[in-house]
Amino acid sequence: MSLKKYVLAGATALAMVGVAITAAHADHFDDGQWGMTAKALKGKTVAYVPISMGFDLAQGWAAAMQKSADKWGYKLVINDPNWSASAGVQAIGQLLAQKPDVLVIQPFDPQSYAKLIKKALDQGTKVVQINMESVTHGDAYVGSDWYDVAATEMDLMEKACGKAAGKNGKIALIPGIPTNPGQMVGTQAINDKLKQYPDLQVVATQAAEYDPTKAHDVALTILKQHPDLCGIPGTWDGQDVGTAAAIKEAGLLGKVYLVTSGGGRQAAACDYIANGSYSAYVSYDGKGQGRDLVGSVVSLLQDSEKAGSHPVGVYSSLKIITKETMSTGSCWTIEDIKANGA
Amino acid sequence: MSASEVYARWRHRLIPDHILGEILSKTWIDNAIPFAFLIIAIAFFAFINPHFFLLSGLGDMARELGEIIFVTLGMVIVMLAGGIDLSVGSTFALSNFITLALFNWQGWPIGLAVLCALLAGAAVGLLNGILVGYLRLRAFLTTLVTLIIIRAIDDTLVIQYSTKVVVPITQSKVWDFISDGDIYGIPIPFIVAIVIAAVGHVLLTRLRPGWHILAVGGSRRSAHNAGIPVRRTVAMTYVMSGILAAAGGVFYASRLGTAGGDTGVGLEVTALTAAVLGGNSLGGGRGSVVKALLGALTVTIINNGLISLGLKSGAGSLALGVVLLIAVAIDVRWLKNRHKVLSKVYVSPAYFKLPPCPSITEGSGSSYALNDKLHDVELIGLGEIDAAEDPILDINDDLFFGSRKGDIIRYFGPDHKRWEVYVHVGGMPLGMAFDRDGNLLCCVAGMGLYKVVKDTRKIVKLTDETNRTWLSIVDDSRMRLPDDLDIAPDGRIFFSEATIRFDSYEWMVDGLEARGNGRIICYDPRDKSTKTVLPKIKFPNGICVAHDGKSIFYASTWGCTIERFWLEGQKKGTTETIIADLPGYPDNINRSSDGNYWVALVGLRTPAFDLALRKPGFRRRMVQRVAQDEWLFPQMNAGTVIKFTESGQVIDCLWDKRGVNHPMLTSCNEHKGYLYLGGIVNNRVGKYKVPGADPNFTNQGSYWGAKP
Amino acid sequence: MNGQDIGRFFRSAQFSQEKIVFSIAVVMFVVFSATLQGFLTTGNVISLVQSVSILGVLSIGMALTIFGRGIDLSIVSNMAISVAWVLYLANQHVSLPAALLCGLGLNLAIGLLNGVLIAYVEIPAIFATLAMGTAVYGFGHSILVNSDVIFLPNADPWFKALGGGSVLGIPSPVLWLIALCAVVFLFLRFTRPGRFIFGMGDNPLAARIAGIPVRPMIVLQYLISSLIGFLAGIITATLVNSMNTRVANSTLVYDVILVVAIGGVGLSGGKGSVRNVIVGTLLIGTLFNGMTILDVPYTLQNIVKSVILLIAIVTDSLLNPRDEQTSQQGDI
Repeated sequence: MSLKKYVLAGATALAMVGVAITAAHADHFDDGQWGMTAKALKGKTVAYVPISMGFDLAQGWAAAMQKSADKWGYKLVINDPNWSASAGVQAIGQLLAQKPDVLVIQPFDPQSYAKLIKKALDQGTKVVQINMESVTHGDAYVGSDWYDVAATEMDLMEKACGKAAGKNGKIALIPGIPTNPGQMVGTQAINDKLKQYPDLQVVATQAAEYDPTKAHDVALTILKQHPDLCGIPGTWDGQDVGTAAAIKEAGLLGKVYLVTSGGGRQAAACDYIANGSYSAYVSYDGKGQGRDLVGSVVSLLQDSEKAGSHPVGVYSSLKIITKETMSTGSCWTIEDIKANGA
Repeated sequence: MSASEVYARWRHRLIPDHILGEILSKTWIDNAIPFAFLIIAIAFFAFINPHFFLLSGLGDMARELGEIIFVTLGMVIVMLAGGIDLSVGSTFALSNFITLALFNWQGWPIGLAVLCALLAGAAVGLLNGILVGYLRLRAFLTTLVTLIIIRAIDDTLVIQYSTKVVVPITQSKVWDFISDGDIYGIPIPFIVAIVIAAVGHVLLTRLRPGWHILAVGGSRRSAHNAGIPVRRTVAMTYVMSGILAAAGGVFYASRLGTAGGDTGVGLEVTALTAAVLGGNSLGGGRGSVVKALLGALTVTIINNGLISLGLKSGAGSLALGVVLLIAVAIDVRWLKNRHKVLSKVYVSPAYFKLPPCPSITEGSGSSYALNDKLHDVELIGLGEIDAAEDPILDINDDLFFGSRKGDIIRYFGPDHKRWEVYVHVGGMPLGMAFDRDGNLLCCVAGMGLYKVVKDTRKIVKLTDETNRTWLSIVDDSRMRLPDDLDIAPDGRIFFSEATIRFDSYEWMVDGLEARGNGRIICYDPRDKSTKTVLPKIKFPNGICVAHDGKSIFYASTWGCTIERFWLEGQKKGTTETIIADLPGYPDNINRSSDGNYWVALVGLRTPAFDLALRKPGFRRRMVQRVAQDEWLFPQMNAGTVIKFTESGQVIDCLWDKRGVNHPMLTSCNEHKGYLYLGGIVNNRVGKYKVPGADPNFTNQGSYWGAKP
Repeated sequence: MNGQDIGRFFRSAQFSQEKIVFSIAVVMFVVFSATLQGFLTTGNVISLVQSVSILGVLSIGMALTIFGRGIDLSIVSNMAISVAWVLYLANQHVSLPAALLCGLGLNLAIGLLNGVLIAYVEIPAIFATLAMGTAVYGFGHSILVNSDVIFLPNADPWFKALGGGSVLGIPSPVLWLIALCAVVFLFLRFTRPGRFIFGMGDNPLAARIAGIPVRPMIVLQYLISSLIGFLAGIITATLVNSMNTRVANSTLVYDVILVVAIGGVGLSGGKGSVRNVIVGTLLIGTLFNGMTILDVPYTLQNIVKSVILLIAIVTDSLLNPRDEQTSQQGDI
């Protein structure tokens, strides 16, 4: 952001604060609570450090918080480590020096932010973690239950490919980056579920590094090798779009049951369910997460308790989207969140 | 004097243009660009985001900086020897994992765990070293392959064990101190990195292995031919790089305590960027630890600064890429054009106005009037001699003079037909004199003041350094162009250094500047001290102690003057101009038998050059825009010898009208009734019978009394 | 028999890295065919080639620059960003041809910039393109597109067929690879610029003295490599219905160099041909396909791939040792 943009952004924020204050004290109906809330939120600072601002979920969360920040007159500062844990550590370190009121972070793994979270709590900054929980607990965890996501996918697999469905139970795993901590939890869930469903049989496990091209190549080879493959429990919509293309290319669309998961953005989820690329989609509902996140942040901003005294967890409810269950509200767009909030 | 000339005079008196060239010629100027980058980066981020340099943020940054410094140091050492090490990022990750696994999971003592991690780094380095150094594979491709292999090994380990290694089962105070501790607010990793950098600096600049590394990088072939173990040296650089990268990984482990797939990914690019930003050349030979530090610091500041701005995804990469491009572009252009720029700005002419030139026209009645007295000089060693400067004779009538090849030649008296190389000095011998004991003292261009002991012919360095002038940019303590010398009765040796800004082969260029770049130095053999007596003289050249020993005469070549400096008496320490308006450029001065002094004029003034001296702008443009062989130089093709009295009256003048025998006269020496004539580009020594001269006069006798 | 004798023996048998690698590829192919069920089927062989065809296309582009003693480390970033921008624009309801033109223009501008920086500013190619790759990724991400993965909009079938179609059962990426190999082969063999590129790679100074317009040729080289990158990107995007811009930060560019180097193209320029790239591509394809069928974990695949390359270059170095007296200074 250029300096000019900074100044502009600052001016806009000020103007909004002004509007909010005037609104609060002049016109707005106050039921007693409203005024306390407005007073508690006004002028506070929320710092936000996702893994990267380059993917839909992080953008959706940011949009949701921005909407709320604009309404209540608190400031949202975003630092983008762009997929580097080390950069994330630096980013948080710098933000903490500015003593924000709430720190919203999406850790890369359970360990790397642990010390920083402790530091934040010690200096009185409240911490919300999204989609990945550090070994050090903050004040709130908002986000997916990675174990559940993978377990749900496996349940869908069992339904589609298990003995009960009269299928051969052959499935292929195409994880993302096996060293990714979320992935590791998922792998654990898959292994547990495989024990539970002995009729499912893994014929191949090939990582695709969250890259659709790689997923495509891997899937194509596996499909050539196992034309009778029944299903693929996918990893992430951004990767599995390649898997879907390979299935289509092999002429097995509709025959191979592809489940993927993700934040449930319209263009990444529902569009592909609609055209049949994905058989089912386990959505952790980015919009809902955004709402949970805003709720947590806003309540922490009003909370006078000592930082870190009562850690709470707000786990996202999962949505299973299939052609049958899909409706207009199943997916979301960033434009929608930006305009209407989460 | 016209207004513009007045302006030119004051402008060149007040503004020291020559400083720019002198600054550019310093070796540390190479660090100026990286340093400028650093300053710009700091200023930029401090301006944009005042929070950025808040202390707590700095502490975190210094912690990370320590790691980057380690990795960059390794990269720079490899680059210095002409290689590249892309595997640093993977080594870093592997070392991080090993440290955590051994300490956290296996519960080993922290020292042992760190040692194992460093050994693992050394092993990776050794693998690279064997492949690149001994098997001579291509560094880029080979380390690329090891990058992938080590990364794959690390990934395999992380997949298997990452959840186990992150939870410590033991505590270690040392480890906690490394992770969180600081000394006066400076984090431990940074302190360790600086200490290691200091060690690296000493290694590279002061120790044999470091010199070998630089030699191999500078020219692998020459290093090989010089007998340096090229392969082993190259291999060693990779081992060092591996260890340093591993050290970085250890501190990363202490800082984050996590082992993930993204540890150290892309670190090779960061290290490479840092190395190049610091001004270390890819391909070897140019670089230093200081450059590595500068680069690492700049990159870390840029990286962190960009994060702190909260820019959109990718803006950081954009900025880093553009900065790298600009840095490399400037570096490349700088390396390529530095010498061009330097040669353009180094010569910095000053304003100088000479008094009117006396006539030399034949029959004009002028003391300098043309004649043909040198028509019939006897020629010694015609064609055998190369650049006979300052011929001098000893009491046995043996003739000594310098030669271009760095020898002092002796022609045996009295007939001067046979000759030998008296001694080989190495540099070009210029002025010479015999001391009281008959030892030959000699100013050697580029070397200093030397003595050749009388019988043993042992060469002794008397001095090659004087006191350094305060605030001068050129380091003027080393002598560049000692020119002529003479010895006072008390044994002190006074010698001239013609210029401190140019080397002997480009002495004429000093004439284009017409600035007082030279000085007179005194060496006192009693306490072996050397000090500058008279600074800022326009090309001081010949020096001669007066017959009474109370003053010295010296010639200022570009000033066209003879000056007298008093050593004793009422005027002690003062200088007076004896002759202010010579028609040419005076060179060596020597005593004559009748109590006067001979001085050779190496060339004659010309109206064109005299005018040019009043036009510094003209000379500057000439130097910058015209090829050097087209420059207007002082005229050096015809010279003369004159005799002057102590009061500065010119009483004799010797010309060679044909300009054949002695086109250029730089020195003359009277001995037993004859004047011996030398010239710095002449292939002969002339022997002129001085009418009415004392046939028993010798210089040694004149100085040191009758034959000892 | 000492090392030199072995070297002489192999040299007399005209062993080069290319032949070694080709032999390895053939041996592996035979072994896989014999031992792996379902390896030697038409479908699998086609998918074998297809899985590496995009890699092959990129490698041809990379090889072109390497022949001329350069390297294009920005090829992947350039591909990802310019094609992602095309998809992004198309998603914003810009007409597809206009979007393609924009993307192509960006792509060529980057190539031009690379060429100018290398030829005229004289930045070493390795740096210029490395920095350019980073800058292009950053530029694209911060200014042109908003997400890491850009999905293909519902476009005309002809566009989707560029990468996702097939002719006579042969998938279009394979056809693209074959066509590109043919074109580049003809270009290098029979056109003047093609010969110039080899001349420059062999000895840039001699080429310059001989009157070859070295600087414009360098620019041309990077324009072509960019263009080939764009082609690879379009094929990718239409094949997998999306463009993942993070591929710019992945090891794909290293894989591309591996393919080029493994086939025996000398990284110091002037040595190699399209054939070397094909050999390298096939080896990697066979390896990848066989190991996927064997279900070898991907970390191990990387190790196997690298070790094979290492063996190839070590053998090459033993057979054609560098001479301390004639090797070039600063040649890494």
